[in-house]
Amino acid sequence: MPNKGYLVDTSKCIGCRGCVVACKQWNQLPAERTSFKGTYQTVPDLTANNYTIVTFHEYEEDGQIKWYFTKRQCMHCLDPVCLKVCPQKAISKTDTGAVVRDREKCVGCQYCAAACPFHVPRYDKVNDKETKCSLCPERTAEGELPACVKACITGALQYGDRDQLLAIANKRVSELKAEYPNANVYGDKQAGGTNIIYVLADKPEKYGFEEDPKVSIAITAWQDIIQPYFPWLIALTGAVSVFSFFSTRLLGVGKEKAHEGEGIHG
Amino acid sequence: MKVTRREFLKISGAAVAALPVLGFDLKPAMAEARGFRIKNIKPVPSICPYCGCGCGLVVYAADGKVLSTEGDPDNPINQGSTCAKGASVYQLHDNPRRMPKPLYRAPYSDHWEEKDWDWVFNEIAKRIKKTRDETFITKEKVTTKDETGADKEIEITVNRTDAIATLGGAALERMLSLF
Repeated sequence: MPNKGYLVDTSKCIGCRGCVVACKQWNQLPAERTSFKGTYQTVPDLTANNYTIVTFHEYEEDGQIKWYFTKRQCMHCLDPVCLKVCPQKAISKTDTGAVVRDREKCVGCQYCAAACPFHVPRYDKVNDKETKCSLCPERTAEGELPACVKACITGALQYGDRDQLLAIANKRVSELKAEYPNANVYGDKQAGGTNIIYVLADKPEKYGFEEDPKVSIAITAWQDIIQPYFPWLIALTGAVSVFSFFSTRLLGVGKEKAHEGEGIHG
Repeated sequence: MKVTRREFLKISGAAVAALPVLGFDLKPAMAEARGFRIKNIKPVPSICPYCGCGCGLVVYAADGKVLSTEGDPDNPINQGSTCAKGASVYQLHDNPRRMPKPLYRAPYSDHWEEKDWDWVFNEIAKRIKKTRDETFITKEKVTTKDETGADKEIEITVNRTDAIATLGGAALERMLSLF
């Protein structure tokens, strides 16, 4: 199965937050109390009850107000770090490349939150679980669109094969270049590539994204080199004990004879 | 069962030897136990009650409980999409903060009292009729231009009341959605 994800074309986003509420509706997440902070962005950050949010970024440049909207949620990395660090193996990839959690297995240790290069997973204190967007695998498996994509009014969200989305994104960026010289595609190579592709009309920092999110080298070394070979230490220990069982028995025969000899002399 | 030291070592040795054969399968099992709760449930079309667009919604319900409300993909107005308000229609039905019964506060009263729907509907109808009859305007004078471009006052039929605010909701315009 090809990798599937969706395209977030921020140049088409009008910041209506339909995706946010549709996500809450489908995932049956309760409302949260928020306060006015001088911005139109109602939900300040991702929370355990908000798997996705729309962020509003306001800038004044050359006497002109620029207002950028973008959607934030799990990026569904091609090579997810959260999957690697999860001690319970509660995070896995579906056959379409969505990174999903197993709620039963999750113990709420928050390792995934600490490792995520995009700072996405959030801790749910009530249920002691880590939460994040799952790209609606139960919907996509039945041929339905993810809840947020279905709700999008302007067509800023498009669900499809990653390769096709990348082609659409590149085409869109070349169209935008005339008016927005800094337009770029985000998610094609960040953190090893993600299934969620963004078309940004300006530099990633202006949308609150990191230009090049990095995965800690300590995590990579531990998870890719040390840990995979750790189980074999158990097997090795077992093999050594088997060896020592036979070797001590064979050597033990000689020792018994030696003891017998000692007895005679003593 | 009595296990001598030698037998114990034999058994554990065999178990360790068997482990790599059985497999150290640390591959994560397929996850996300949540199901597709609207499977095989017939969507019932409805109209969003909020703004004047009159977007189509579909309601998935079973056993008297709403499971999900989504945009109606067959509706030409919104083609499956919903804004934040339309997407929130679910909580019109399932919401602990909603009043389960109509509450009525009489003029100059300091408390709310529970009333049944029949009483409320009759009361609303009665008062609307009274206000309408008292303030109904059949004709109104408006200023317009005559052939030469000069202002001219004419009288036209309007048949309306200015005393009741217009309820411009999409629920009133559902005819538009039934193409």
